[in-house]
Amino acid sequence: MSINVFEKRAFLVAVASVAVSLALIAYATWGMGINVPTCIPLGSKPFEQASVTKHEGKNYEVHYVARMWAFEPSVLRVPTGSTLDIYAVTKDVTHGFLIAGTNVNLMLVPGAVANSRVHFEKPGIYTIVCHEYCGRNHQNMNARIEVSDQIADYSVEGLPASEGMKLLDAKGCLACHSVDGSAGVGPTFKGAWGTPVTLTDGSTRTLDSALFLQKVLHPDTITVKDYPPVMPVLPLTDDEISKIEAYLEGL
Amino acid sequence: MELQTNLRRIILAELLVPLALFIFGAYHGVLQTMYLSGVIRATSVAGIDYYQGLTAHGVINAIVLTTFFAVALGYTVVSQELKSRVSIAGAALSLALMLLGAVMAAAMIFLGKASVLYTFYPPLMAHPLFYVGLVLFIVGSWVPLWTWIPVYLRWRKENRGWKTPMGVVGILATFTVWQMATLPVAVEVLVQLLPWSLGWTHGINVMLSRTLFWFFGHPLVYFWLLPTYVMYYTMLPKLAGGKLFSDFAGRFTFMALILLSCPLGLHHQFADPGISTTSKGIQGVLTLLVAIPSLLTAFTLAASLEYAARQRGGKGLFGWWSKLPYFNPENWLFPYLFCGLLIFLFGGITGIVNASYSMNNVVHNTAWIPAHFHLTVGGPIFLGILGGSLFIVTGLLKKPVVSGTMAMIVPYLWMGGTFIFSSGLFMGGLRGEPRRTNLGLTYMNPASPSYRSDWWVPAHMGLVGGCIMGFAVLLYFIVLIRSLAAASDAAASKAPFSLPTSEPYHDEDVPAVRNFTPWVVAAVLLCAAAYYVPIRDIAKNGITTAPGFRPDSPAAVNTTH
Repeated sequence: MSINVFEKRAFLVAVASVAVSLALIAYATWGMGINVPTCIPLGSKPFEQASVTKHEGKNYEVHYVARMWAFEPSVLRVPTGSTLDIYAVTKDVTHGFLIAGTNVNLMLVPGAVANSRVHFEKPGIYTIVCHEYCGRNHQNMNARIEVSDQIADYSVEGLPASEGMKLLDAKGCLACHSVDGSAGVGPTFKGAWGTPVTLTDGSTRTLDSALFLQKVLHPDTITVKDYPPVMPVLPLTDDEISKIEAYLEGL
Repeated sequence: MELQTNLRRIILAELLVPLALFIFGAYHGVLQTMYLSGVIRATSVAGIDYYQGLTAHGVINAIVLTTFFAVALGYTVVSQELKSRVSIAGAALSLALMLLGAVMAAAMIFLGKASVLYTFYPPLMAHPLFYVGLVLFIVGSWVPLWTWIPVYLRWRKENRGWKTPMGVVGILATFTVWQMATLPVAVEVLVQLLPWSLGWTHGINVMLSRTLFWFFGHPLVYFWLLPTYVMYYTMLPKLAGGKLFSDFAGRFTFMALILLSCPLGLHHQFADPGISTTSKGIQGVLTLLVAIPSLLTAFTLAASLEYAARQRGGKGLFGWWSKLPYFNPENWLFPYLFCGLLIFLFGGITGIVNASYSMNNVVHNTAWIPAHFHLTVGGPIFLGILGGSLFIVTGLLKKPVVSGTMAMIVPYLWMGGTFIFSSGLFMGGLRGEPRRTNLGLTYMNPASPSYRSDWWVPAHMGLVGGCIMGFAVLLYFIVLIRSLAAASDAAASKAPFSLPTSEPYHDEDVPAVRNFTPWVVAAVLLCAAAYYVPIRDIAKNGITTAPGFRPDSPAAVNTTH
């Protein structure tokens, strides 16, 4: 039995074409250093708060949080030439995270952290698009990164949690309550959200929105055991309260 | 030999019911190009929400139509080529389960209880009956293979030394791939989704469900493709007036697709977290290996067409191209297969782009992806289904095709439409246009802060192409309905119906591609090797489980009773 020469050639050309493609992919991966996202081993659970951290030079570490149907932060401004290490998670369903015009293309899957790095050589407005169907308002879900020659450092919008931190500072809460677990006049906020607290009347309640709201609006009605009843009434708006809550939840 | 009477009826139902559903699938396809280009700026039209219609478009066109056609073609080929009677009880059971499942899933979609798209990615949660419907549909599609195997084994025993007919090899390969691929998705639905949607479990491991889904989701595309390959290898050379250039190429292709269809679903998850680059890389290499049988198929079919053209007097290096029966109303089926093949050239090349590992960063989940698969499932596969269905339906009913000229125009129109549609979506995808998004409300709305003027041209190319594709479908249904309404053809009534079958030109005997067993065993081992590590990683990383969400609310579904 002998196979026809053209049949052999067709087979060889098919194999050779694939071999060339594989070689090019290997070059792109190792030669040019372009890789796909990998697995970030999780210590316990993914972060819950969006944040921007400045490292040396124009390097920033950005933690994005996606939810139906917005990204936090919604606007990030960085100087031209910045490198961003992006970590992103979702609070609810699976979302997509594509920065149009770059190679950043991630799936944000519940329970896992997605990671990529991007370098912005050219100024411009880069749209972050949610490209995975995430419910009724999926088409509204985007954010942007503004890269500009005109600025020296980053600025950010739409970080409810970090705005919460600013509010705690501005309203004077931090005078009595720490956010790092250290002792103060009042109990620390660190790790307190969602955990039970014992009150002076001996009852135990969970620190949730209801308890928080009651304490903020009517501080004299409840007091945590072993602490003095000295908290003043604070004029906070609903919006401010929800931003503080967002921050405390992730603390 | 004529097909059994009841089998003929079952095959007709398997072809005509999904085609009737497809009228909605096609209608909403055209509508989607209007939503995407901003011609429609609304969440819904005629009571059907964009994402609801999109779910129906995907489920009907990509699951219901394709699977029913594979089963119907399978029964026709197995029965005809093995000259054997098949189990009518099995065929009826399969039809009943698939119809029931399809109706349940479609009802939930049209009631707005399952707008989760055909990938049904949790933690989006649909109505439990949607998942039950899908399971019944899949289980129904398992039945035929198990009734064909004894028929095939008996034929082998009675025809020792003879090669199994090519069409039968292709059909058995198709359903072997389907059987392997659908097991993980059945596990996903039965173990994860169904109890969770019923409120029996409160959380779902989303990475695991995605991985099980794509174990199924990629071989699914080969399951779509394989019946078309059967038609290419067994019918196209004959319709062109020639022979199949290489019998070996066909048999090798079918066996290679059994081996390689399954262990490469991770290339749909290149952008996912929770899976290492090593696991992704290994399946990336396996993905590219699938290009070998596809390239071999392209070369073999081109050689078969050249052989046919030279038999018809074609001369010269390229001159033979003019001698093929492109515009012959009597041979209207040829352009369905030929245009499909031309479209598939581009579908195949762009598929290699998608599969090329880090290149995925550029195209993943963008409009590039639907651009690609409308050149595969929406190209050769869809045209194969349209042409094959019209051929089998009119053949079994002994009716003439009214008219052959109109039937012949459909694939050319469709090809022109898909090329414009897909060129637009390719361009848009490279500019970051997302897939499966109601662009008209925001990105394609100049009044919105999200407006993207650079997506205007791509989206409108999609619109023009989509309308041409819609027009082609309309013509097709005119032909189909007129043919069904026509009186039976007296002359044709005498001769039994049969599919055209090509003879081989080069007919070597290569024992390695004549036995299914080693290929199936190797496929199972390869799947286990390719998936062991990623599934272990997903389990080990202690990924937290997610509650369910309805598509219309950011609040988690409370499933506690």
